[in-house]
Amino acid sequence: MLDENTLKQVMATLLTVDITAIDSEASMDTIATWDSLRHMNLVLALEEEFKVSIPDEDAGNITSYKLIMLVLEELLQAK
Amino acid sequence: MSSNNADTLVLNKADSTLTQVMQAVANLEKAEPRRSLSIGLSSSATTELLGLYLRKHGLLSGTHITIHLGNYDDPIGDVDSFLSAGIEHMVMLPFLDTLMPSFEAQLESLTPELLAAKELDVRNRYRMAFEKAKFFKSIFLGSFHRFGHAADVSGADAVSDVLNRFNQALREEAAAFPNICIIDTEDVVRTVGHTAAFDARFYFRSKAPYTGIYFNELARRVASATRGFGTHFYKVLVLDCDNTLWGGVIGEDLMGGIKLSPYDYPGNIFWRMQHEFAALERNGILLCLCSKNNLADVDEVFQKHPEMILKPSQIVVKKVNWNDKPTNLRALAQELNVGLDSIVFLDDSSFECDAVRQQLPMVKTIQVPATLSEYPRVVKEIKELFLAGGISADSRCKTEQYRQRADSVTLQTQFESQNAYLASLEMKVELSCNETGSVARISELSMKSNQFNLTTRRFSEAEVIKLMQSPDAAVYSLSVSDKFGKAGLTGVVFMRYFDGVAQIDNFLMSCRVIGRGVETAIWSEISSNAARRGCAALRATYIPSAKNAQVADFYERLGLPLTDTTVDAKYYSAALTSFTPPVTPWIELTYVG
Repeated sequence: MLDENTLKQVMATLLTVDITAIDSEASMDTIATWDSLRHMNLVLALEEEFKVSIPDEDAGNITSYKLIMLVLEELLQAK
Repeated sequence: MSSNNADTLVLNKADSTLTQVMQAVANLEKAEPRRSLSIGLSSSATTELLGLYLRKHGLLSGTHITIHLGNYDDPIGDVDSFLSAGIEHMVMLPFLDTLMPSFEAQLESLTPELLAAKELDVRNRYRMAFEKAKFFKSIFLGSFHRFGHAADVSGADAVSDVLNRFNQALREEAAAFPNICIIDTEDVVRTVGHTAAFDARFYFRSKAPYTGIYFNELARRVASATRGFGTHFYKVLVLDCDNTLWGGVIGEDLMGGIKLSPYDYPGNIFWRMQHEFAALERNGILLCLCSKNNLADVDEVFQKHPEMILKPSQIVVKKVNWNDKPTNLRALAQELNVGLDSIVFLDDSSFECDAVRQQLPMVKTIQVPATLSEYPRVVKEIKELFLAGGISADSRCKTEQYRQRADSVTLQTQFESQNAYLASLEMKVELSCNETGSVARISELSMKSNQFNLTTRRFSEAEVIKLMQSPDAAVYSLSVSDKFGKAGLTGVVFMRYFDGVAQIDNFLMSCRVIGRGVETAIWSEISSNAARRGCAALRATYIPSAKNAQVADFYERLGLPLTDTTVDAKYYSAALTSFTPPVTPWIELTYVG
């Protein structure tokens, strides 16, 4: 199961926002610091934290909390 | 453990995750900075993450680093904007594959003319950027590396040719600018591994080819090259002996039992490490011993063990005794007249390392790893501490100079009276008169000496020659040597003779030999020579300058009566028959005419 607290912590750290800013509606559109540079680092950090490899086609597209949850859960189940 | 320590631990751990590093860096940067520094990043790839790792390595050296990101592929514009932001340090990372779209893949199909034009373009752009940045304090220029692999197993292909050529171009353009330090990025890739260094996903999407692993190693090298962003400058490597220079304990295993054979494990590791230490010594690093042992045992190994690489002459100071190591290190720093913070201390014992870390935290303490195969890696890190910042040619072979001084200090403590100490130096002074072979050195010394210079009258080579040839003048020069070595021609006396008067026109000495009686030892010879010329009186003048206060009373000390004092000078005169300079029985004077 995906640990949502860990996910929020990673996102908050990488996007340099308070953890309370990461709610289920958080996305590139709602978080001003979430730019394409930070997004790359976020993907790298998520891979490291959850020990998964996010496929190329997903890496660029998971630009919201919900999408990240979805992709990570799939990857974790497949392990 | 305080949270600061926990964060520092995260930064020191090799396997901390990106998230952990970011958190730790953010936490540590909340503290009041001890030092701070701004660095601009200029690259033709996306290198924003390098900023995080530069900040990390800055924090590990107690420095808060602020990063300013340049634009994509705009070295000249970046320099302008960094300059206007008052930034004095910059990392420049040109990227080969973005010189043209997928440059590496295009190479085979490019015409030589186009390639030549591209090389010229790279040269011009970077030369202009370097020129604009010539007042930066430091520029770290990453050389080009390839992104792809050569299909040819020999490694030689069109890309490797162009890579070498363009790197040569960068190096040539950078050579004119002493503030540029080139970092070999191919070696960074080799060190972390090609697979770990790059992430193709983000390269093709966002021109961000590098991983955190690559940036971490690159930032670590920038930190090394800047000696911890200017926080340390190590000069002395202090070595334990047992299980550091050789395997085993000399006091127990004896000469035949210690491990130092180049052909057997583990002697081969210690033997190899001794070569590394000897190489450091040749690069100007001072080697010292600090070992709990009987001095005679350690000396015997150094003198007689057939496999010893380090020679007694390569060790500046030995603290081989039963005192605790912090005490010995303090004494050692004092003898060498260096700060404890310029010392790296290597010992195999956790007890000794902890004692030094606790009592002398400014000393960089490193422990010989328990797993001996790790020892070469640890010594490589030690070498980087000393050498990564570059070494100047004149700092090479400092050992002899320092050893002479340290030996003098050691001896000084052993002798109760100063005279007994001076006698132990076995000083020899050779006094020459009108030595034409030394004209250049005599003139040089008269031009350079300020402190021990009685009138600050300077003499060109031509003037020296003229004085030597004149029947009414003489130029005495003195060369000093002692049991530790030769100090060379270090003193000059210019004499003029007229109307039965021998006038000391000037007397000057190099500061290297002052305070040992040399300055008074030569005068009985010079005054007898004057008497033989028919002079009856000896006269001298002291002219004060901004720097020669230390010799204001020299002629008084020499035994010349003061006859007149004006604002500009002090005048002395004595009958030669009554002039008796102080005796210096510890100096063996030879007059060579």
